[in-house]
Amino acid sequence: MAQNYIIKVKDGKKYFLRFTVNQRLQHIILASTVIILVLTGMPLKFHGTLWASYLYEQLGGISLAPIIHRVAAVILLLLGGYHLGYLTYNFYVEEIVPLRKNGKPGLIAITKAVLRQPIIPNLKDIRDILDLLKYLFFLTDKKPLGAKYTWKEKFDYMAPFWGIVMIGSSGIVMWGQDLATKILPGEIISFALIVHSDEALLAALFLFFWHWYNVHFSTSVFPMGTVFLTGYLTEELMVEEHYEYYVEVMTKEGFENEILPPPGVSAPHAPENHEEGSPIS
Amino acid sequence: MRCKKLLKYAAGISAFVWVAVLFIFCEARAADIGNCLLCHKYPGLSRIDENGDLKLLFINESVFNNSVHANVKCEGCHPDIKKIPHENVRKVDCMLECHIIEPSSEKKFSHKDVETFLSRSVHSKIDKEGKPKKYPEDYPDCKDCHDNPLYRPLSFFKKVRPGISEIVLGRCRVCHKKDEFIFRFYNHITTRLHAIRSPKNIAEVCAKCHEDPALVARHGLSRKAVSSYAETFHGKAANYLSEGIPDCLNCHVNIGESVHQMLSHKNPESITFKDNKIKSCRMIDCHPHASAKLAKYDVHPEFDKEKSPMEYYFTAFFLILTGGTLLPLAGIMFLDLGRRLFSRKKEDKE
Amino acid sequence: MKAFLTKLYIVSFMVLTLFFMVLTWNLTFGKLIEEQSRRKSDDQADSLKALADGKEEQSFKKIILEGDEKVKHYLGYRVLEEMKLEGHFHHIDYEMEPDNRSTCVECHGDIPHDAKKEIRAFGNMHSAFIACETCHVRLEGDQKTGAFKWYGRKTGEIIPSPIKEDLAPGFYHAKIIPFGVIDGKLQRIDTQSQIDFAREYQKSEKTLSDPQKAKAKKIIHKFVAEKAYVCEDCHRGKDSLLPFENLGYSKKRVDLLVSSEVVGMIRDYTKFFVPEMLHPGLSETEAKKLEKQ
Repeated sequence: MAQNYIIKVKDGKKYFLRFTVNQRLQHIILASTVIILVLTGMPLKFHGTLWASYLYEQLGGISLAPIIHRVAAVILLLLGGYHLGYLTYNFYVEEIVPLRKNGKPGLIAITKAVLRQPIIPNLKDIRDILDLLKYLFFLTDKKPLGAKYTWKEKFDYMAPFWGIVMIGSSGIVMWGQDLATKILPGEIISFALIVHSDEALLAALFLFFWHWYNVHFSTSVFPMGTVFLTGYLTEELMVEEHYEYYVEVMTKEGFENEILPPPGVSAPHAPENHEEGSPIS
Repeated sequence: MRCKKLLKYAAGISAFVWVAVLFIFCEARAADIGNCLLCHKYPGLSRIDENGDLKLLFINESVFNNSVHANVKCEGCHPDIKKIPHENVRKVDCMLECHIIEPSSEKKFSHKDVETFLSRSVHSKIDKEGKPKKYPEDYPDCKDCHDNPLYRPLSFFKKVRPGISEIVLGRCRVCHKKDEFIFRFYNHITTRLHAIRSPKNIAEVCAKCHEDPALVARHGLSRKAVSSYAETFHGKAANYLSEGIPDCLNCHVNIGESVHQMLSHKNPESITFKDNKIKSCRMIDCHPHASAKLAKYDVHPEFDKEKSPMEYYFTAFFLILTGGTLLPLAGIMFLDLGRRLFSRKKEDKE
Repeated sequence: MKAFLTKLYIVSFMVLTLFFMVLTWNLTFGKLIEEQSRRKSDDQADSLKALADGKEEQSFKKIILEGDEKVKHYLGYRVLEEMKLEGHFHHIDYEMEPDNRSTCVECHGDIPHDAKKEIRAFGNMHSAFIACETCHVRLEGDQKTGAFKWYGRKTGEIIPSPIKEDLAPGFYHAKIIPFGVIDGKLQRIDTQSQIDFAREYQKSEKTLSDPQKAKAKKIIHKFVAEKAYVCEDCHRGKDSLLPFENLGYSKKRVDLLVSSEVVGMIRDYTKFFVPEMLHPGLSETEAKKLEKQ
């Protein structure tokens, strides 16, 4: 596997590493299992409608679709478990080990380290949202300058955590209803059904509208953002979405002189970077 | 002598002729009476009655022959129809004794017992004291729930043809000679091994009354008996034509008893009585090892603040969470698109 | 062009977003509001009870439009879908599609026979596969050709005989129509111009004056015979009105149709049950008078 360069230069254009191969694989598994789960699950929620019965029929009907649903669910849960392990391991290697070198890390130090992680929501995200609203209401022409992960991406990342925990646990309760009701009260199944179906609706609509808009249908990336496959983002999108981080990386990697101006400010040599990603500019 | 002999012959012959004529006449008459399909096989045989309802007099022979009543002649149920044109045709009485002999008792077959079962059930028109209940016309008669039951010989294992196995029929033929008998017997037994109607059809039958807003209001019944079932996995699977899923009858009829003897959930003898529910959950094909707590699962959930407040608030929380998350995000999307639309214009001007 | 397409894309996506917001609203807050309002209306359960005690509302919508439901029986190996008839015990499993050609049925319906109790169902049974004109129009003289053909109920077009060996009698989805010499040429007697005339009348009925209506009706019904053909005109061994063989009936079926079984029953009818059957529409005494003549 090729080395993960932070900035790859190809044909004079710069590409910025966003996701490692491991992360990309995790995403693909997540995406495909979620799509399968939604397809085999939603027809049950909307059982009265024509599209649902047609769709369900295509997916093998009541005799097959629930099995597909459970297989996909198990894969997704395993992935969730793997991801937690992956996070813990990375955190240990990158944060705890250096802390250890400086003596025994306290609880406060570890908490601080957690909050320092670029994926953890912070005050800048709130500022960015407010700035974005200003921009969207035409109060300013300046877009907020994104850090390594923008608030949208943090939202996209955190939502599955909540989703997998809620939908996964309720699904397990319903699947193992006999066992579950040995331990828990019987009413739990009623509540599990509510959680499972309503939370799934939230997750599905969130993903297929909000997430897909941002990575698929927005005019910046239309028809499809390729970063989830290649792992690398074009310089143009990097400037548009993650300017703060862009400057940081460019400085770190020795490209100080080639830093482009922030989005919204027209640059003298901007056009040459506008070929990929956006069909319009 | 000769004359006498001749006379004897003549008498003999004439007697024979007479008998023959009589015989032929009887045959013809019998056929005439029985040959109902001569007219009733035509799909158009119908009229509009005084109330404007369509009276369809058509009998689809091939479908009828696949029904449990195929062996019963028309006159078995319509004994009062003796001549053409039929006069003052009475309603069919399902409690009639018919010509079929019930093999275990060797008595004439009748649905009479159903009446007894029904009289003990919650659907009886008469209360415990023997007085007629209020709104007796709301309580079901045979035809409110039953149409002519069709054979479903292990049908849900077969997708495109009825589950009739030629191999099994061959085994029957070893001892039994009449194919007609074999076919009926086979169909009867294999149909009886499972419900004669799919769970979805059963739920529809119950819905006729139990989802009739006026009727349930008159009797103070649950307003959503069937549509709430449809919201559980049981009902959803039934809607997708699962056959292995419990329908109304599986949980509302005491195990091993006639479906006609359905009891009120207030009756301590009923399987739907709160302490007994678990028995139906624990049926061998369902959740045999379930703990008693499983019965607390609400199989008739309603999104209703008063009926089930906990479930209501729980659902409401998720609905608000969903709406509260998606609507602002969609708003941002909308504005984002608007902004893109506008900034493009600006760039074009440049 | 590209900029225009982009703008179009953005605008349509904005519409989609609005649709999405409505959808989300309906699925979330809309549901909460609906529950609340329903509960409120349930509070007035007494009024519902009052409604329950009273007779149900008898509107055209309720009786005619909503009364035409289908019922599906899931047999596992097939789905039997048929007309829903309240309290009907036997299964139907045959769909009688509307006759799109006949203008008679547009007013009179496809189950038109009602007057004579003893024969109304027979009449309706025949009208399922015999066009009204076959019995109710008497072609005389040069017009009479003795030719009859089938037309499909759905398309109205002339088709080859739908009769097949394994097809149950009456399941034809087609009707028999007489051919006659009209306007000098051999054609089906429900001519296009007649149909157009009747349809035009139906369309403009509301705007017509009473004499105009009467006139139109007279013209539309002009070719209807006073005395329709009766059972025996076809169900007889010789000189049957309908050329059964030409219409595709097998020899066996023809024999049955003119057999003693059918013909005998008809004779019984005419003799014992409906003496005036040969003159439907006339009163008993009038019929007797005619008989004597």
